[in-house]
Amino acid sequence: MVKLIQQFVSCCRAAGMRVSTSEVLDSLNQMQLINPTDEQQFCSLLRSNFAKSIRDVQHFDRLYHLFFHEMRMDTADIKQAASYTEQIKNAADILKKMPHDNPIYDAVIDFLQGNPMALLQEMRRIQTEEEPAMLRFNLGPLGNRLNVTLQINKAASAAQALVEDHYAKTDSVAGRELAIYFEERAAAARSMLAYEPRPGESGTRKTKTEEQKLRGLGEKSFSSFTPQEVEEMREAIDKLVRKLKNIVSRRYAIRNRGSIDVKKTLRASAKYNGVPVEIKYRRKAKRKSRIVTLCDVSGSVWAAARFMLNLLYALQDCFDKVNSFVFIDHLSEVTDIFEENEINEAIRLVLEKSDVDYNASTDYGETLRNFKKNHMELLTKKTTLIIVGDGRTNYMNPEDAILGQMRERCRRVIWLNPEQENLWGSGDSEIKSYMPHCHEVRQCRNVNQLFTFIEELVL
Amino acid sequence: MDYKSVDDVQSKLTGAGYIPSREIATVVFLAAATQKPVLVEGPAGVGKTELAKAIARSLGRELIRLQCYEGLDEAKALYEWEYAKQLLYTQMVKDRLNDIISSAQTLTQAVDQIAEQEDAFFSDRFIQHRPLLQAISSEKPVVLLVDEVDKSDPEFEAFLLELLSDFQVSIPELGTRKAVQIPFVLLTSNNYRDMSDALKRRCVHLYIDYPARDTEISIVRLKIPGIDEKLCETLVDAIRKIRKLDLKKNPSIAETIDWAQSLIALQINELTPDVVSETLNIICKYQIDMEKVRKNINRILQ
Repeated sequence: MVKLIQQFVSCCRAAGMRVSTSEVLDSLNQMQLINPTDEQQFCSLLRSNFAKSIRDVQHFDRLYHLFFHEMRMDTADIKQAASYTEQIKNAADILKKMPHDNPIYDAVIDFLQGNPMALLQEMRRIQTEEEPAMLRFNLGPLGNRLNVTLQINKAASAAQALVEDHYAKTDSVAGRELAIYFEERAAAARSMLAYEPRPGESGTRKTKTEEQKLRGLGEKSFSSFTPQEVEEMREAIDKLVRKLKNIVSRRYAIRNRGSIDVKKTLRASAKYNGVPVEIKYRRKAKRKSRIVTLCDVSGSVWAAARFMLNLLYALQDCFDKVNSFVFIDHLSEVTDIFEENEINEAIRLVLEKSDVDYNASTDYGETLRNFKKNHMELLTKKTTLIIVGDGRTNYMNPEDAILGQMRERCRRVIWLNPEQENLWGSGDSEIKSYMPHCHEVRQCRNVNQLFTFIEELVL
Repeated sequence: MDYKSVDDVQSKLTGAGYIPSREIATVVFLAAATQKPVLVEGPAGVGKTELAKAIARSLGRELIRLQCYEGLDEAKALYEWEYAKQLLYTQMVKDRLNDIISSAQTLTQAVDQIAEQEDAFFSDRFIQHRPLLQAISSEKPVVLLVDEVDKSDPEFEAFLLELLSDFQVSIPELGTRKAVQIPFVLLTSNNYRDMSDALKRRCVHLYIDYPARDTEISIVRLKIPGIDEKLCETLVDAIRKIRKLDLKKNPSIAETIDWAQSLIALQINELTPDVVSETLNIICKYQIDMEKVRKNINRILQ
């Protein structure tokens, strides 16, 4: 039992789940309290100890099924396989000695032999690996998969040939069993390769903003604004900003209530010969959050992004710090421009910024790689990360694993998508791959949706 | 140990008016047996808080609840000194203080003599117990519910760690307080933000989803014993279909029960499109949701 669980734990770890030693110990202790042959109890026990968030639960269920159902043979099979252990081992040894130059081949043979560790690790690497900087297509992962497929085929045919060589003449039961065994394992390896990990989305909040506030202009999509309407928008934004600032400052006024801080009051009273003239309160400033924004400034997305930046900087007092970046094919920091210039001027400057190539095609993968390399320290547990973009990657590697790493460092990840929801996931849109890594994905096509979002963010 | 086995948990919780799935029962049993806190996650309204209440009822323990929110600090969660009372007492015993220091020859001696009496002012008498301190200093074992822990600040979460791992808290003036009786701790979260790894490591995790059809039917029948069997079934089926509609706020179990109750109050025994349309404001809390349900009313009642 202990060994079985240990194997499962190493599989979980190889698949990127964090399972600590104390959790393993806990589950082993608890195992004595329940009836492990009742699968529901057994599974619940492991799940409650290993998977500690909704996202992990789905990951765990997949791994559990893989480990205890797909990868393991039924008990009957185990008995059978046990009687052939010798042969399987010998065959594997011979297969390994065959001339080859690919480490994955070894992993596949191990897998055929019943030891899935190496291959699982390889899969994990393929699914999460970042590309070397120069390659800009998702051919990298595909190529890796192709390599593994080739190795599986190679190993499977080698195994088959070997079995035929050794047992064909005698046509023994053992020979046939062995051939079937290898075939099954090879099939399992192939199905594992075809599986694409999709962490579940139930942990992500999808907000639907359908209420109408500003009729007409409010529902009009950003991309179809005329210059005159842009002016009207500015006024609307100014109004909203004043309203929000009012609410926030009222909240600051309120902090003067609360209980008396006796220590501070006594200390202050020393000035007045012990008479508590100044009353000190235990006041606590409302926490200000930090904001990091990544804005896609290509084409239609820019229309939405500029209004969002406009709002964010107008409300700068409500936040601790706003760091902004724009990107098309790579990341470029624009925090200074927005801090030093008036907002319309700043937007003009961003459009003229020399290191943004407006003719390039959008590359989210490269952007995320840039961010990871240079700015990861901006993300802390107080940071809210806001990404504005349509998630259209032009078929380049989306690098959604990096977004996952970013999520782990910050408080919330919110993705604003200016595209219609029914277009999400169509064509080169990778929003569905990013979605599982976000706390919240919102459609943000018009002013109303943007205003609702900003209100929720500030209040 | 209060529960004997997983089956025992199941029957006791059912007795307390909560129908647990096998998984819930297993996790509750393990948490009780190993005295570990349970971190409960799931959509709003699936009975996370209710589970805590049912556990308290089934064990015959008191339930102490701590509602978390942004800005919650130790003074509100753990303890606070009653300054007013302290000041009042100081005033009242002023003469006594004079007696104590009257024998002192020098200032140093006087201060020393006063210092000996310090304990009188920093004692249990002047502590205001907040939920967490209440839970661990209670003579009888209790159930402690830390509700919506994801709404609290990271600082508070870090502070909870000491309590959850060792069941003790530090009060600077009094030293470390160990739990008299280890409480059964439940934390609930709506997944507003991720909890820290350290906190997760100390807890057993439980994800509660909307219940299966049969479970939901038996929950409704448990809460409303007189309900017509057929009505109950169509009602639950309708609710389950409404949940699939992708609404702004999905109807929870509480809403199912409310709906059933109001149908009984209206003495309605059959669900027709008109009935659903008229009673819709019980299950839908937004205008848009109601419109959506009305549009799909025929599909729901199929």
